Amino acid sequence: MKNKKIISVLMVGALMAGMLTVTGCGGSSDGDSSAKGGKTELELFSSKAENKDVLQQLVDKFNETHEDVTIKITAPADAGTVLKTRMAKNDMPDIVMMGGDNNYTEVESAGMLVDLSDQDYISNIQDSYMQMVYDVNKDKEEKAYGVPYATNASGVIYNVDKFEELGLEIPKTWDEFIDVLDQIKDAGEQPLLMTYKDAWTSLCPWNSMAPDLQPEGFTDDRKEGKTTFVGTHEEIVEKYLTLLDYAQDDFMGLTYDDGNKAFANGDSVMIINGNWAINQYKSANADLNVNMFALPASNDESKNYVTSGVDVLLGVCKDSANEDMAKEFVSFMMEPENAQTYIDDQFAFSAIKGVEQNNETVAGVKEDIANGKVANFPDHYYPSGFDLSALISEMCLNYSNGMDNQENMDQFLKQCDEKYDIANVD
Amino acid sequence: MKRRTANVKERYNWPVTILLIAGIVLIILLPLYMALMIAIKDPSDMNNILAFPTKLRLQNFVDAWNMTNFPRKFFNTAFITVINLIFTLITNSFAAYAITRNRKKSKFFSIMYYYFISAMFIPFQVIMLPLVVQANTFHLDNIYGITFLYIIFGLPMNTFLYTGAVKAIPEALDEAAMIDGANPIQTFSRIIFPVLKPTTATVAILSFMWTWNDFTMPLVLLSDESQQTLQLAQYVFKKQFSVDYNLAFASYLLVLAPVLIVYLFCQKWIMNGVVAGAVK
Amino acid sequence: MKKKTARKRPAVNKVYYIYVGILATLFFVFHTIPFLRGVLYSFTDWKGYGDWNFVGLRNYLHMFSDADTGNAYLFTFKFAVIATILVNVISLILACALNAKIKFKNTIKAFYFLPYMLGSLIVGFIFNYIFANLIPQLGKSLGIQALSVNILGTNHAIWGIIAVAVWTGCAFNTLIYIAGLQSIDTDVYEAADLDGATGFRRFTKITFPLLAPSFTINMVLSAKGYLMVYDQIMAMTEGGPGTSTTSIAVLIYKKGFGGGQFAYQSANAVMLFIVVVLISVFQLRILEKREEKLG
Repeated sequence: MKNKKIISVLMVGALMAGMLTVTGCGGSSDGDSSAKGGKTELELFSSKAENKDVLQQLVDKFNETHEDVTIKITAPADAGTVLKTRMAKNDMPDIVMMGGDNNYTEVESAGMLVDLSDQDYISNIQDSYMQMVYDVNKDKEEKAYGVPYATNASGVIYNVDKFEELGLEIPKTWDEFIDVLDQIKDAGEQPLLMTYKDAWTSLCPWNSMAPDLQPEGFTDDRKEGKTTFVGTHEEIVEKYLTLLDYAQDDFMGLTYDDGNKAFANGDSVMIINGNWAINQYKSANADLNVNMFALPASNDESKNYVTSGVDVLLGVCKDSANEDMAKEFVSFMMEPENAQTYIDDQFAFSAIKGVEQNNETVAGVKEDIANGKVANFPDHYYPSGFDLSALISEMCLNYSNGMDNQENMDQFLKQCDEKYDIANVD
Repeated sequence: MKRRTANVKERYNWPVTILLIAGIVLIILLPLYMALMIAIKDPSDMNNILAFPTKLRLQNFVDAWNMTNFPRKFFNTAFITVINLIFTLITNSFAAYAITRNRKKSKFFSIMYYYFISAMFIPFQVIMLPLVVQANTFHLDNIYGITFLYIIFGLPMNTFLYTGAVKAIPEALDEAAMIDGANPIQTFSRIIFPVLKPTTATVAILSFMWTWNDFTMPLVLLSDESQQTLQLAQYVFKKQFSVDYNLAFASYLLVLAPVLIVYLFCQKWIMNGVVAGAVK
Repeated sequence: MKKKTARKRPAVNKVYYIYVGILATLFFVFHTIPFLRGVLYSFTDWKGYGDWNFVGLRNYLHMFSDADTGNAYLFTFKFAVIATILVNVISLILACALNAKIKFKNTIKAFYFLPYMLGSLIVGFIFNYIFANLIPQLGKSLGIQALSVNILGTNHAIWGIIAVAVWTGCAFNTLIYIAGLQSIDTDVYEAADLDGATGFRRFTKITFPLLAPSFTINMVLSAKGYLMVYDQIMAMTEGGPGTSTTSIAVLIYKKGFGGGQFAYQSANAVMLFIVVVLISVFQLRILEKREEKLG
């Protein structure tokens, strides 16, 4: 008798709960950005996991002077996809920190970001980096929907002690580079470490070489269908495949993180990646002595640019309930002192005039960056549906299976054009 | 000939026993043993992955606990799992009962039966994209919403499982109760539900395992950190974890532990439960 | 009209109508509407936000010329077929072994069922480590070249994922087979003994046909599950190397959200639905035929 009553009650309860949820009382997520116990909560979405610690540090500092605000950092794995999922849900964070790449283009062209052109700090930003953000805006609109914050450098990172030990010099041309690789090989050391289990790392050599070797204006022309990868990128692919000759056996199976540890422990002399990886090496081995140089893809020294792009930009989302506070946080981040804290921790470069990176680990590219001998990452200009890393990693897989280089190259470039065209519709 | 067979039957088959035990050790337990060894070591102590630690390090568990905000994630997961379990058992069983008993009497229930059953063939991926868009309209991107969705999405499978069981109960049983003046809810709760126990066990286990271990639905729905589940947290922290495997494995074990404990005490019931509903 | 029906059939209590009606409405709103919306999107060029236009069958036609989608289907079918067969063969052998006269029967059974309890994401992570570190270390110390690389970075990566699928998948299937074996009357075996049927012959001629119902359940459930493989891949390869382990479900998630192909992947999802329905119907047809034969 009792049991039956309880079950009846529960059953009615279940239905009620169901109905209530439907009619929209589940407002718990509504409270996200509004006041919680008198405190305003803002969400900062960061697409880099590597900078979570220093961000937290800066956020704490911000909170010292803004006691009524809490900023919550979200830095999920596969952040680009997560952010777009949230766009579809119309559930955007208040502040975004992301790369100046095609993910940004998508967020920006969907009209999700606030124009920050009228803010004071804009005049303090180096023109070349501001231009890079304009370039990835929809229709190249010259408005600061994203504020360039930290910039990066992609190239060859080398173990300084090993270089000295083997008596090697920094190569300035492709031939010199190959010569260095051969010398290392002959000395019985591992010349290059590649971490292609994480497919994105296979883009690093590409991004370092393509700006030096691709025809001028290629990215624009390709977009308009005036040119193709076939016929313009053969040299890049050829050199790419040559580099694979110097990689370790299991280069397709090594993960970025394991590779970083291995490099930090001296398993190889060089690794092709970017400055963002340096703090990973340092945390694995604090005594490691590294430096960087631009990958000299061309034999014409003047063409060997440092690949440098907007690694992190700051944006304020349109739907934010606390737009003013979000803007205030952005201007806090842009203060030279805080920008310095950030780049020191990240071994990065600042887009803000007068904020300099003085760490020795990146000294080798500092001068070029200061002189503006830089080229942006070519993949920042490819359409977002064009997954070049998957194509390169497939080419590398074919290589490790012993496919003929010519056949591999032809197939790869043909695929590039096909996939590009598919992704280029909008 | 026959006597020999009988003789053999009485003795244990030792070769098979030994092979099976070897299989357990090498295939089932080795990965878990490895996970445990990594979880209790210091990063510098990883030269031999499978060896015992030179120095026991339990700090990994503490760090993983704090880093992933384990209590919060555990509460979320437990909330979703338990509430879903209770409501699924109550609502879905009665729905299956209502449908099965009235299919012959009214076309409506027949249609409902086919409606639910046919939905079983819709893979989650098909509704995933639009669901995400819709979830925001209904504020379903939190643990309450996702629990509600689990209850609703379980209907096809559970109706399927329960219908078979309800059919096997003679209708005279409910008719007798009705004549005594019981209403449908009373009849169901007093007479039918107790008889459905084996199927209820199956549904309970399947629901539990589904919600506890599910990763896809939380991944697309729960973006707010305070709403995330244990499984999702492991994925979200993948990047941070991969720098420190010892921490990562400690965290994995923290997620596996509750299930292992439940299994330790209820393994017989669980195994019987899974079979009871599935084999009919 | 209503009255006539009521007279012909016994009255149905209103409670049933209301209750099932409410549940069906909820189900319709949260399951069927998303499904229909998905179908609708598949005829548009919507990106998940912003404006959209109807584009007719463009997305569907595109699928036939898109190598990514084709490869994802090929991979998924290959994976589903191999995993389904392997899981069922191994489960059958395990079930027979566990059904033999063995010591510690219940304990051993409990251990073999253990993997079922563990979430495939974490199992994927654990095996990821085994393939990346444990096995290569072993391979190097034994000097076996084939073992010293991470299988997930080769074009055999599919086997790494299959291994995990088998590890977790066998538990459930084995249990079903054991239940099937236990329901076989021992008299049948004694009769077979008298006829001189033993060992493998006895298995193929007697045991296996009697296991048919369990076999069909396992085949249908495994095939359906593996056609939607997702968790293990996200935990282990995220679809790589290249796109060699991208299953349909992974493709829908990655490209649908991440690659700006929301509408196109909706079409892909609808296609996946059709495929799953066709395969399930096909399997159930066979099941019915067999039951007719047995009956």
